[in-house]
Amino acid sequence: MTNKFKYLVGVSLRKKIKTKWFAIINILLVVIIVGLANIDTIIESFGGDFSTPAEIIVKDETGEVFDLFVSNFEQAQTYLSDPESLKMIESNKEKEKLVEEIDNNKTIIVYIKQDSDNYISAEIISNSYVDNVLYQIISSAINTSKYTIAMEKSNIDIAELAHINAPVTINRTILDESKSEQEETMNFFMGIVFPIFILPFFMLIVFLVQMIGGEINEEKTTRSMEIIISNVSPKTHFMSKIVASNLFVFIQASILLVAGFLGLTVRKYTAASTFSLGADFDIKQIWEMLVSSGMASRLIYIIPITILMMILSFLAYSLLAGILASMTTSIEDFQQVQTPIILICVAGYYLSMLAPTFEGSIFIKIISYIPFMSALISPPLLLLGQIGILDVTISIVILISAIYIMLKYGIRIYKVGILNYSTTRLWSKMFKAARG
Amino acid sequence: MLKVQNITKSYGDLKAVDNLSFEVKEGEVFGLLGVNGAGKTTTFRIIMGLLEADDGTVTLDGKPIDYNMTDKIGFLTEERSLLLKMTVFDQVMYYGVLKGMNKIEVERELDKWLKRFEIEEYKHRKIKELSKGNQQKIQFITAIINNPKLLILDEPFAGLDPMNVEMFMDTIREVERNGSIIIFSSHRMEHVELFCEKLVVLVRGQAVLEGNLKDIKKNYRRKNIIINGKVDKEELLKIEGVLEVNKKKNETEVKIQDDSCVDKVFEYITKCKNITKFVVEEPSLNEIFVSKVGESYDKQI
Repeated sequence: MTNKFKYLVGVSLRKKIKTKWFAIINILLVVIIVGLANIDTIIESFGGDFSTPAEIIVKDETGEVFDLFVSNFEQAQTYLSDPESLKMIESNKEKEKLVEEIDNNKTIIVYIKQDSDNYISAEIISNSYVDNVLYQIISSAINTSKYTIAMEKSNIDIAELAHINAPVTINRTILDESKSEQEETMNFFMGIVFPIFILPFFMLIVFLVQMIGGEINEEKTTRSMEIIISNVSPKTHFMSKIVASNLFVFIQASILLVAGFLGLTVRKYTAASTFSLGADFDIKQIWEMLVSSGMASRLIYIIPITILMMILSFLAYSLLAGILASMTTSIEDFQQVQTPIILICVAGYYLSMLAPTFEGSIFIKIISYIPFMSALISPPLLLLGQIGILDVTISIVILISAIYIMLKYGIRIYKVGILNYSTTRLWSKMFKAARG
Repeated sequence: MLKVQNITKSYGDLKAVDNLSFEVKEGEVFGLLGVNGAGKTTTFRIIMGLLEADDGTVTLDGKPIDYNMTDKIGFLTEERSLLLKMTVFDQVMYYGVLKGMNKIEVERELDKWLKRFEIEEYKHRKIKELSKGNQQKIQFITAIINNPKLLILDEPFAGLDPMNVEMFMDTIREVERNGSIIIFSSHRMEHVELFCEKLVVLVRGQAVLEGNLKDIKKNYRRKNIIINGKVDKEELLKIEGVLEVNKKKNETEVKIQDDSCVDKVFEYITKCKNITKFVVEEPSLNEIFVSKVGESYDKQI
């Protein structure tokens, strides 16, 4: 005899996964995620005037600026996304000849000469617009060169000049001893990297709530529930829905992870060479940043805690959605009921984002203990050092207690709710059912 | 044997079922009748174990009905309890496996019944693509796929054309011959008369009429006299004990209080001309039902 529980889980899961829409949506998701991870490459592949020139031809009429210009340019070129691909060439050709030879958007001519007052002046010639960052670097390098030559001519010795030209050493001092420079890095991490992980979690909760609500309501409104419940107990049915929806979330999360890795792998081999987005993510760079800021060592225990809290939260959300779905009499009713659930999740998401801004907020700390929100708030607070392991342990204990209560009383409500088709005295019926 | 003993179920102040008892033996078809809201569905749900009775017991072969026993029960609900997005195969497999059957067994039985109901081509079609009648056939198949010991049929002929009603009737009779206990509910009394040997009529949860159908008819005092010939309606109504006279196409139906006025009516028609038929008939179940339900409502009001 087939195990009825396993069979119910299988049917629920197949109903969700063996559909054209599941395949279409996930293919689209993979394409979008891979696309977003490689958006600069895609934009560049369509062409446009945004490409960084590949060569800078310098025509130095003064004969004394070129070396200085190159040196100053190299100091500033780290701001370019791909400085290695730039070639700096000194030319002896006539300016007019050089201008005639420009036949693409990859070449810039920097024409340096002395003006009537014997000061350096320059002309930048190109076929089209020049990337703003590159233009600023060229301009800065010329200015610095002019300044250096002027200082030399004013009989300031080389050592003195080196001191003047050296960048100002800035020592960062934070008077609050509990803070460190590393926490600034953490704030960056919270602002840029953390949402990348939290958004899919939020999305999966929405999937989870919709799946469980949709399925229970479909069986209820078609009265199939009466046939099902006459063959398996409401407890078996309820638990099968919980397990199936959580397995579905696990499968969906795996697909998202695979899509993410696929996107980064594609990026590794096809990354755009000359176009800068300003926020170029690279796992290696992020990891190095985490190691240097000391966050990597914290992540060793924060990551398992986060995964545990996420799993428990999925379970809690699915139980809540299942109980509420059993009480509603149509999918439209459930859609209204699911709104507060989603809003709770959204509130958790925003509070986790606000945590670095309102550092030490007692309100956010209290909210971090509340089930349904704790998985979104506790891990970032722990990462920022605003709460300790004890606080997270309390959050986990509260979350497990909430799951236990929902299991104990929820099944009683579910048993009555799934066969109730009337909204009259609904809450009274449910409270009565919960009391047993 | 199915034994329902003194079951009572209330929803707040409303008594949905009030001290109801009946027994159904193997190979019997039992009619559970009543107007909408009379308590039939609640009774079915209590029998199926979906609801707990406030009082009373339900046993099948002496044992209370629980999840160890539901594999032996078939249930056809009044509403279409089918998942419309599923295919016929998936739907029947779903319910079949939940009734404890293995997948090979379910498919074998499904093929047999699809062939019997002449809808083999719909095996892999979605339920929502089928006509109402064919959906009802699928629902019926899900109820009998496990060769149930107890079969509950709530309005089994809803949405069926006369040909398909005949097909269902043959099948129900076959299930009856195989020794199953069948509880049957329908608003169509002619169907109930065809199947049920015993019945109970519920009004607001209470049994207002129960017993063997033949005895119920026999004991029901009112009778009908069918006359074929030229009679005067007004003259007939003057006879003591005549309640109603209905002129039909070629016949006149005379409803009488009891057997005592048969002679008086006969005496009258001997004076009439062209009389070719004079038959005293038992009333139909429909008449008894309407009369009993009406009386009960009057009493309760």
